[in-house]
Amino acid sequence: MDEEIPVDVGLIYEGERIRKSSMYVDLAGPKSKGAELLRVVPPEEVEDGKVEVIGPDVDQMEEGGRYPLGIYIKVAGEKLEEDLEGVFERKLHYFCNYVQGFMHLNSRDIIWCRISKDAAKKGLKLYHIGKALVKLYKTEFDVIEKIQVTFYTDEKAVDEHIARARKVYEKRDARAAALKDEDVDVFYSCLLCQSFAPTHVCAITPSRSGGCGAVTWFEGRAAVKVDPSGPIQEIPKGEVIDPVKGEFSGINEYVREKSNGSIERVYLHSIFDYPHTSCGCFEAIAFYIPEVDGIGIVHRDFHGVTPFGIPFSTMAGQVGGGVQSQGFLGISIAYLRSPKFLQADGGWQRIVWMPSQLKERVRDAIPQEMYDKIATESDAQDLESLKEWLKQKGHPVVERLAEEEKAEEEAEEESQPVATVPELTLPAQGVPVAGAPAEFTIIFKNAKIYAEKVIIRRK
Amino acid sequence: MIIAVSGKGGTGKTVIASLLVRSLAERNAYDILAIDSDPDSNLPDALGVEVERTIGDIREELLEKRDSLPPGVSWRSQLEYEVMRALVETESFDLLSMGRPEGPGCYCAANHVLREIIDTMAGNYDYVIIDTEAGLEHLSRRTTQNVDVMLVVTDTSKRGITTAARIKELAEELNIKFDSIYVVINRATAGTEEKLQEYAGEVGLEVIGTVPEDENVRMYDHEGRPLMELPGDTPALRAVRGIAEKIVR
Repeated sequence: MDEEIPVDVGLIYEGERIRKSSMYVDLAGPKSKGAELLRVVPPEEVEDGKVEVIGPDVDQMEEGGRYPLGIYIKVAGEKLEEDLEGVFERKLHYFCNYVQGFMHLNSRDIIWCRISKDAAKKGLKLYHIGKALVKLYKTEFDVIEKIQVTFYTDEKAVDEHIARARKVYEKRDARAAALKDEDVDVFYSCLLCQSFAPTHVCAITPSRSGGCGAVTWFEGRAAVKVDPSGPIQEIPKGEVIDPVKGEFSGINEYVREKSNGSIERVYLHSIFDYPHTSCGCFEAIAFYIPEVDGIGIVHRDFHGVTPFGIPFSTMAGQVGGGVQSQGFLGISIAYLRSPKFLQADGGWQRIVWMPSQLKERVRDAIPQEMYDKIATESDAQDLESLKEWLKQKGHPVVERLAEEEKAEEEAEEESQPVATVPELTLPAQGVPVAGAPAEFTIIFKNAKIYAEKVIIRRK
Repeated sequence: MIIAVSGKGGTGKTVIASLLVRSLAERNAYDILAIDSDPDSNLPDALGVEVERTIGDIREELLEKRDSLPPGVSWRSQLEYEVMRALVETESFDLLSMGRPEGPGCYCAANHVLREIIDTMAGNYDYVIIDTEAGLEHLSRRTTQNVDVMLVVTDTSKRGITTAARIKELAEELNIKFDSIYVVINRATAGTEEKLQEYAGEVGLEVIGTVPEDENVRMYDHEGRPLMELPGDTPALRAVRGIAEKIVR
C-alpha cells in the first residue's frame, strides 16, 4: 500500500469547501450518518501509528456516491486525562481540513465530509488521511505518545460506532454541565457589544454565560481557538477575592482595562454593589424590588408589565449600555440554570416574580419548594398584589418584610404625615465629590410624591 | 471576485444579477456562488432553483435551540454545518439565500459568526454575485463588506441615475469598500442611452453597459419561468454577457 499521502497537507486548506460538482464522494452529512470519537485509553490498547478502514475505502467507492462515515481515534500517553478527549476531538475538524481535497464540517455525530474529484484522481484514500492525522496529532501534542485511527464506512460498523460515541458524549456532557467557576483557571471575555455599549465587558465563566445567551464558557474556548485576536479573549482568573459574590482579581483587572477605567470591580453573582454591566441584548433582566426586598425577573419575550408597572423594553432601556446599575442586571436565560445563580443575594430564595412563560421554561432549575412561591403576571400585577401573594404563600422574603413593616409602623405613629410637598429637594448628602463617580441610589419606600415638575440634571 | 448588484426595486436588478450568473456560468470555467440578500427579490426563482432554508431560518433555529445544545458542543461549528446544508448546489452555480431580516432579540454573536462563515465559504468561489437591496443593509451587516465591483441597476429615468449616485454615497457611508462602481441601464430604449450617459457622468458614475428592453425577459418573468432557460441569443442576455466580459477582464 502506498504510504505517501498524494495531496498537500497544510493550514492553507482550512475553510476549503468542496462543491457538489467537484465532489467525488459525500460522507456522513444530513442525508447519511456518521460520528467521530476520540478516546484516551491505556497504552496497551493502542497500536501506535495503525490506520484501519472498516468497509470500502475511497478507491472502492462509486463516484458521486454517498456513504456513512465513522472516525475513531484512540490515544495513549502518561500525562493524558479523560478530560482532554473533548479538546483533542475538536482538533480533528481542523486537522482533517488541512488535507487538500478533504472537507470536514462540525463535530460529534453531526459531521459532514467530502472528498474532491481531484484528490480521488490523485489516489487519496481515507487510509492516507488517517496517516496524516497520526502525524498531525503527534506533532501538535507532545503528550500523545501513541495513536491509532480507525475509519468505518460499512453501514453496520458505522451504526455500532455511533451508538458507542453517543454514550461517551452523554458522559462528557454530564461532566461539562457540572463544571463550575472553581474548576477552571481561565475565563473568557466578549467585547462584541462594545459597538453600542463601549464600557461593557462581558465576563464569561462556566457558571455565567454572556447576557445574550450566545456565548458560554465552552463557546468562548472554541472561539479563542478559531480566532485568537477576535472579540472573544481569554481572561486569566487571578485571585479569588470572594467566591460567593464571584469576584476575581483577573476579571477586575481585565474589565478595568477594557472599559477604559469606567468599571473597577465586578461581582458575577450579585445584583448589588458591583453588579456585572449589562449590554443591551441580554435575554432577561433581574431587578430588585425594594418594597418586598425580593428580586423579579423579566425576559425579552414577555410583553406585559412587571410589578413596577413598566414592561421589559422600558426597563431594558434604563439598564443597558454598559453601566453598572444597582439592583438591575441583564442576564441570559441559561444563567437562571446556573448553580451560582445570584447566589450572593440568596439565589432562588430571593426570587419573587417572573412571567409564567419563563417560569415554565426554567422549571427544572427552580428548587421545588420555591416553585409555587414565585408569583407570575397572573398572580401579581403590581406591588400591592405581589406583597399579598408573597405573604399568602409564605415566601422566604416575607419574614424580613414583616420585621421592616413593624419598624415602619412604629415610626409612622411618631411623625405626622406630610400632606403636600411643594418642592422636592434631594439632599446632596452622600453624593461623592467631583472626580469620583457621581453615582448614588435613591430608594423610596411607600412613598407618594406629588410634583408639578421634577428636573434631574447630570452635572 | 465579489460582485454586488444593487438598485431600487423595480429596476430589474434581479434580472441583471441572474443573467450575470448565467453569463459567467456558461463559460464553464468558474466556481460561482450567488447570494440572494434581498428579502423582497426572487433570485432563486429567476435562477430556477428552490431554497429550502435561508440563513435567517438558521439564525432563528439557533436561538431557539441554543439552550438545549449539549454543553460540549459549539454552535459555531453547528452553524457552519447548517450554512453548508442551506447551500443550494447545482452543476453550474451554488446559491445561498439570506432570508428575512431578524426579529427582536440579540443577534450580534450569531451574525458575527455567520459573517465569518459566509466569508470563508465565499473564498472558495471564483465569482460571488450578491443580489442586494438598495438599502445595502445586508451588505453592511451580514455578508462580506468588501466588494470588488458594485453594479447599480437603474431604469431609463434621470431619477434613476440620482438614485444610483445616492447608493454610491450610502455604500461609502456604510464603509462598504469597493474597487469600482458602475451603472447598468436596464430596459433601455433607443435614444435614451446617450442622455443618461451624460447624466451619469455629471454625478461621477460610469455606465458599464446598457441592457435593452427584451420581450423574452418580459414573457419569462410574466410566466414565472427561470431566466436560466432564456434563449442564448436573446438581446438582454447578450448585453449582460458584454458586461460580464468587461468585469472579468
